[in-house]
Amino acid sequence: MSPKEGKNGSLWRIVQREVARMLSKPVYVFCMVVAPLIGYLFFTTLMGKGLPMDIPVGVVDEDNTSITRQVLRNLDAFQQTAIVKQYANFGDAREAMQRGDIYAFYYIPKGTTELALSSKQPKVSFYTNAAYLIPASLEYRDMKMMAELASGAIARQTLYAKGYTDDQVMGILQPIKMEMHAIGNPGLNYSIYLSNILLPAMLMLLIMQVTIYAIHSEVKDGTSQRWLELANGNFYKALAGKLLPQLMVWIVMGATYLVVLYAYWDFPLKSGLWPMALDSLLLIVVSQAFGVFLCELLPSLRWALSIATLWGVLSFPISGFSFPQLAFPAPLRSLSYLFPLRYYYLIYVDQALNGLPMHYSYLWYAALTAFLILPLLFPNRLKKCLLEYQYTK
Amino acid sequence: MKWLHNILEVFREELHNSIFDEGVIVFFFVVPLLYPLLYAYLYGNESVREVPTVAVDLAHSSTSREFLRKVDATSDVDIVGHCADMQEAKELVHRHKAYCIIYIPAEFDYALMEGKQAIVELYSDMGSLLYYKAVLASCTEVSLAMNKDIKAQRLVGATKEQSDTFAYPIEYEFVPMFNTQSGFATFMIPAVLMLVIQQTMVLGIGMMAGEEREKKRRGILEPHVIGKRPVEMLLGKSTAYLSIYVLVAAYVLCLVPHWFHLIQIWQWRDLLAFLVPYLLSCIFFSMTISGIAYNREVFIIMFVFVSVPLLFISGISWPSCSIPAFWRTVSWFFPSTFGINGFVKIGSMGALLRDVKPELVALWAQTLFYGFTAWLVYYRSYGKHLRDIVEVAEERLQARWADYL
Repeated sequence: MSPKEGKNGSLWRIVQREVARMLSKPVYVFCMVVAPLIGYLFFTTLMGKGLPMDIPVGVVDEDNTSITRQVLRNLDAFQQTAIVKQYANFGDAREAMQRGDIYAFYYIPKGTTELALSSKQPKVSFYTNAAYLIPASLEYRDMKMMAELASGAIARQTLYAKGYTDDQVMGILQPIKMEMHAIGNPGLNYSIYLSNILLPAMLMLLIMQVTIYAIHSEVKDGTSQRWLELANGNFYKALAGKLLPQLMVWIVMGATYLVVLYAYWDFPLKSGLWPMALDSLLLIVVSQAFGVFLCELLPSLRWALSIATLWGVLSFPISGFSFPQLAFPAPLRSLSYLFPLRYYYLIYVDQALNGLPMHYSYLWYAALTAFLILPLLFPNRLKKCLLEYQYTK
Repeated sequence: MKWLHNILEVFREELHNSIFDEGVIVFFFVVPLLYPLLYAYLYGNESVREVPTVAVDLAHSSTSREFLRKVDATSDVDIVGHCADMQEAKELVHRHKAYCIIYIPAEFDYALMEGKQAIVELYSDMGSLLYYKAVLASCTEVSLAMNKDIKAQRLVGATKEQSDTFAYPIEYEFVPMFNTQSGFATFMIPAVLMLVIQQTMVLGIGMMAGEEREKKRRGILEPHVIGKRPVEMLLGKSTAYLSIYVLVAAYVLCLVPHWFHLIQIWQWRDLLAFLVPYLLSCIFFSMTISGIAYNREVFIIMFVFVSVPLLFISGISWPSCSIPAFWRTVSWFFPSTFGINGFVKIGSMGALLRDVKPELVALWAQTLFYGFTAWLVYYRSYGKHLRDIVEVAEERLQARWADYL
């Protein structure tokens, strides 16, 4: 494992030694290559095209007439809905929902057709299981659309027969109409919404952990003095020699997720590749810096690693990519600015999703870069630990 | 009764180890204590309210102003500014001063007067789907209410009710069940809580197993290990973990939801009957996995990153009917998948024990399966123990002998 004897103090020697270390322990291969790839594969194949299809839905049709059956046939035609079963009564359907057989059901009470025919506007109810929020909101959308179409159909026929024009008919059925534009993600693709942050966030978590492990395991293995000697006691040189070869691997892994997201899945990348490439590169380097910072702050492998874990996992929700930061309680809103992933997310929204000119995001880039100062704060604590600490447990 | 004595001794030692190892304390106590609080606090507002929105009203009519006033009055949208044109409005969105734009074109009023359809355009920043939902729901709600009035005017000779019935012969009503305000906390927290239990257990137990192996490699053996059969080790340790996690689970699953007013409509009997197999399967699963923990820390790195995928694979956010068959099969290997779904059904949806039968059966099956695999792991670690001790002792003796010579 020890590299060939050569002159102390050369960066190249430390790099060689680090590459040898990385190859000798399976944890590096697993956490730097295998785990990120599994993660990329997982999230992008899990959500696939980004919208769940054929969500199972039930029906309680107490009326059971040709008209109610027609309404139900219309519903089944929607891509996201699949009517899988008829239930005899409300209770049965509710229980099926509690068991998880269906995510929603229609309830058509007895007498619906009769009321409809006598123009008394009966009510058809649609119950969704909102404990499962995503399918519930998609079902809601389908139902809304169906309600518009189904109701309009009958009235439209009557109006046409009376000689109204298309324009007039729509003006009577729906005088004010909403036209929704979802900037950057018109199909409401959940994979665009989530994968764009989940992938880099996972990589960030792994980078922090591996960086900490790489530094502190020297202490644990009792090789830290040797490592510093190779750099002639120059702490930053030792660190650079260790982190550079890892950085190369991380850059490849970062490039991989960019390719997966923006080339393979063709997610929106409105400002072109470079702003996002810069964003990813910064996140990678900042994650390493953050790892070094934690090593300095907590000169113990297990503590630094535990804190990195907690910090990294907390980064997911607090970056605000799924539940917006706007809705956080005020203290957590402020706290979110201490997480690098928050800035990564803001840059992503500006650049990839909205395609803004760079100057809108300068502040976020600067904030993200500012995390690079962290490892310069307490270098001596770590240096002392590397030179003196004996791993006891 | 030698075996009972042995199990008790292992139980006591393991309990002692868990409570006095600072690294294990983090995972067994600190994380379960803090994480649920943090998450519940974070998602506490359930949904985003008063989304900052700008209005571009080119119609400048009483109707368009009425529309905007009514939208502003809804709880989800807050109109923070009126802009002269789209350019100005976009600028505000780009500067994150607002997240949505309501654009009322100049033709709006003409269309209304001519009896045509008047369009209101909504633009939403897609940094979060919740902005989209908020502005669309509020504007639709307001437009439906205003439409009723306008329709009554247009259908000559009809009352408001008649015209409404004409356009909508059937009224559709939408009822979200079990989470009536479609809130984020109600949907997400129960899943996070169950996952915290499994993940902290895996990490804590893995850490302890890693530590033991490290020591063993250095020739240090815990005295309480000597003379115990693998099955005694298994039972002793698992009872120790169980006794800790009964307390942890009581705090995480009962106290936290209670403090944060989350839905808790379970029956005690059902909840207990469900949690027993969940905790057991988690324990044996952790013990099995700990078989690959060759040292304390590597195990953490290897297992933490699966936490978020486990949340997704459980089917709580992405519906399980849309999860590809391969990943669904993978999900069956983790107790959290069944634990999360069962707990959501019992706790948030008021399901009875018979409604969660598939989950219950799966968890008991996992308990048996992982119980067996954990025994295999322990058989490998402790079965040859006596021989190892003898070897180590001999080595030391020889080393001393060599020194002496």
